[in-house]
Amino acid sequence: MKVKLRFSRSQLCIPYAAFLILFVIAPLLVIVYYAFTNGQGHFTFDNFINFFSNTNTIGTLLYSMLLAITATLICLIIAYPTAYILARSGFKKQHVLLLLFILPMWINFTLRITALKEVLSVIEGNISLHPFLNSVIGMTYDFLPFMILPLYTSFLKLDKSLLEAASDLGANKFFVFLNVTLPLSVPAIVSGITMVLLPSMTNYVVLDMLYNSTFIMGSLIGSYFSAKDWHNGSMISLILLIIIFIVTIVTNRFSDKDTDARRTVL
Amino acid sequence: MRKLPKFILTVAAAGALTVGMLPLSACSSSGKEVVLRVSNWEEYIDLGDWDDDELIEIDNPYAPELGGVIGINSIVDDFTEWFNNGDHGFNIRVEYSTFGTNEDLYNRLNLGDTYDLVCPSEYMIMQLVNEGRVEKYSESFHDKNIQTNYYARNVSPYIDGVFTENGWKEYAACYMLGTTGIVYNPEIVSAEDVSSWSVLKNPEYKRQVTVKDNVRDAYFATLGILNAEELLGESITSARRSELLNSTHDDTIAAALDILKDIKNNVYSFETDSGKADMITGKVVANYQWSGDGVFIMDEADDDTNNPTELWYSVPDECTNLWFDGWVMLKDGINGDEQKRTAAEAFVNFLSRPDNAIRNMNYIGYTSSIAGDPNEESSMIFDYLEWNYGAENDGNTTLYDYDVSYFFGKECSVAADIETLEIGDDGSINRGRQLFAQYPPKNVIDRSVVMLDFGDRLSAINQMWINVRCLDVKDFNPAVVWTVVSLIVVGVAAIVLYKFRYQIFYRTPKKDNSDK
Repeated sequence: MKVKLRFSRSQLCIPYAAFLILFVIAPLLVIVYYAFTNGQGHFTFDNFINFFSNTNTIGTLLYSMLLAITATLICLIIAYPTAYILARSGFKKQHVLLLLFILPMWINFTLRITALKEVLSVIEGNISLHPFLNSVIGMTYDFLPFMILPLYTSFLKLDKSLLEAASDLGANKFFVFLNVTLPLSVPAIVSGITMVLLPSMTNYVVLDMLYNSTFIMGSLIGSYFSAKDWHNGSMISLILLIIIFIVTIVTNRFSDKDTDARRTVL
Repeated sequence: MRKLPKFILTVAAAGALTVGMLPLSACSSSGKEVVLRVSNWEEYIDLGDWDDDELIEIDNPYAPELGGVIGINSIVDDFTEWFNNGDHGFNIRVEYSTFGTNEDLYNRLNLGDTYDLVCPSEYMIMQLVNEGRVEKYSESFHDKNIQTNYYARNVSPYIDGVFTENGWKEYAACYMLGTTGIVYNPEIVSAEDVSSWSVLKNPEYKRQVTVKDNVRDAYFATLGILNAEELLGESITSARRSELLNSTHDDTIAAALDILKDIKNNVYSFETDSGKADMITGKVVANYQWSGDGVFIMDEADDDTNNPTELWYSVPDECTNLWFDGWVMLKDGINGDEQKRTAAEAFVNFLSRPDNAIRNMNYIGYTSSIAGDPNEESSMIFDYLEWNYGAENDGNTTLYDYDVSYFFGKECSVAADIETLEIGDDGSINRGRQLFAQYPPKNVIDRSVVMLDFGDRLSAINQMWINVRCLDVKDFNPAVVWTVVSLIVVGVAAIVLYKFRYQIFYRTPKKDNSDK
């Protein structure tokens, strides 16, 4: 019996393993191959040098980072208090409130951005005069729920006895927040940041639809691919992948460290 | 790992089963049926289903019972029926698919999609021909004596001439053509401003003009601006014009980059499709358009119930890009199959039958290459032109004989309303409404240039376009750069402080814990 059970368990992995091999690992290998070869199929570092020797591509990297960081910070500033209030309020219908924030996610993305475009046109007049601002608003609008959700869950799970203990020990509300609530929500902040920062570096559809003619990383890769230049496009994808990898490692370290910190506090 | 071979085996078995069944099922369903795989631009063929009041009231010798030209079924269905009722000895079925851009089609072909008949633009046709992928049309396709050779018999002699001159004739059959120009609102933009491509970088219309998000069109307009002086000169020849506007020298590309950066900082957007709607709703006052889309925009703006606007189409004085979309057969698809070739050629001929050409033209707004047989007394296409654009002399309207002889290969002109055309002192017409956009006059054709394939300079031009669209580090506002740098420094400092907060702010919290 036991053997049989184990057998079926490992079989359960097959669908995901197949998915992983077919749609993650194989394409990744193809990207790596293209990134380090030229049109003749010879090994080369040229694509890598091309990226870092062109002030335009470096500028694009900076521009996308600037855009993504701004959008993430604004998301965080909006989402943190919102999630806090939502989770901590005694309001009985808090699920309904949460639904109000999640609801936009159920509407098609293109439709939402088109609507946003019209709203911005009414407010700003000619929307192409503020391309950066509009892109930040678009990204924030699009990714805000991804920031709210993890924070909301972490606040819900927060052990109230810790807060009471802190107050009993003489901390006022501000210090309770600073020493208990904030450290405990760091993992949620980190996961929120990863979910907002990385897509907003590449989601160029938002820029296209809001008439920002400047490329970000996603559009740069797309334009190389549509120009049939698989090699430079793959190299930029790879560079982006490495950046994302570093960000993930750093943030994970950060949140792991924090679980230790939590133990120390406890 | 142990299970992996078993897994591979299962997949392999399933794969083998599927592959094994494919030819079986293909055989059983087709029988004598030949499948013709056609790929065309999106929304580039009549899908039928017209309302009764959309009937085009002209004589239709191909279907007299209709009392005119009207699309009831889609052209593809009509073709299948027409072909299968004919005496070919086999039946066909059309697999019709669409593509969004020439590059999209090209990539699909490279990724292994096979089509028998495709409709790319002239430069993509050139590229495919150069790569040896295009099947030539058969000798009999060009035989004007065969009754059903509608293309050979009806193609405009002017188009036929251009195709012969460029060496495309044996590979491609022209479907639609047009010019590039600027759709504008004459109440806001002066005729003088739109008479030059430099309207795209004119600060007077800052963030109020759209440009096609496509390197070929953007580059063409830029070369027009760059060479304006010589192009507007008296002594320019058409060979020189073509040379200037097909230049891909490094110097030209570098100069174009600077102009395009100016344009980028001045336009409302680089658009692929949104420009039409923005022009109709009045968000922009001018946009760079292909003539057929220009006709569509003008029609829509006229009919806009909330805010009808009269828009015009201008062909800048420097030059215009005369482009063509043509049907080519692909070697991969046809693969030496005579029946497929017959079916593909029949498809082109069916589209070239004047009533079908009118249906397509009316549906999509572009200009069909079909003009009608110049030796025949009347031409359905010309009748359509008169029905569509001819004006009645009712006392208030001044008529103007709009000459389209060059296109039809015989003396003919449409009596058009003079209010829809801007006629210069020398009789040249450079701006106008739908008629002008759809059938450009001779003086516009005289300054038109066919933009050839970039060949091996393509990657240099693509890189230039990418550089235009990217934000150069050197163009960054120093204040922004310093703000970002200081933000990052502060952020890193905060993270470091937070990480070592126990070592810095608290004395020895860990010891306290262990004491307990």
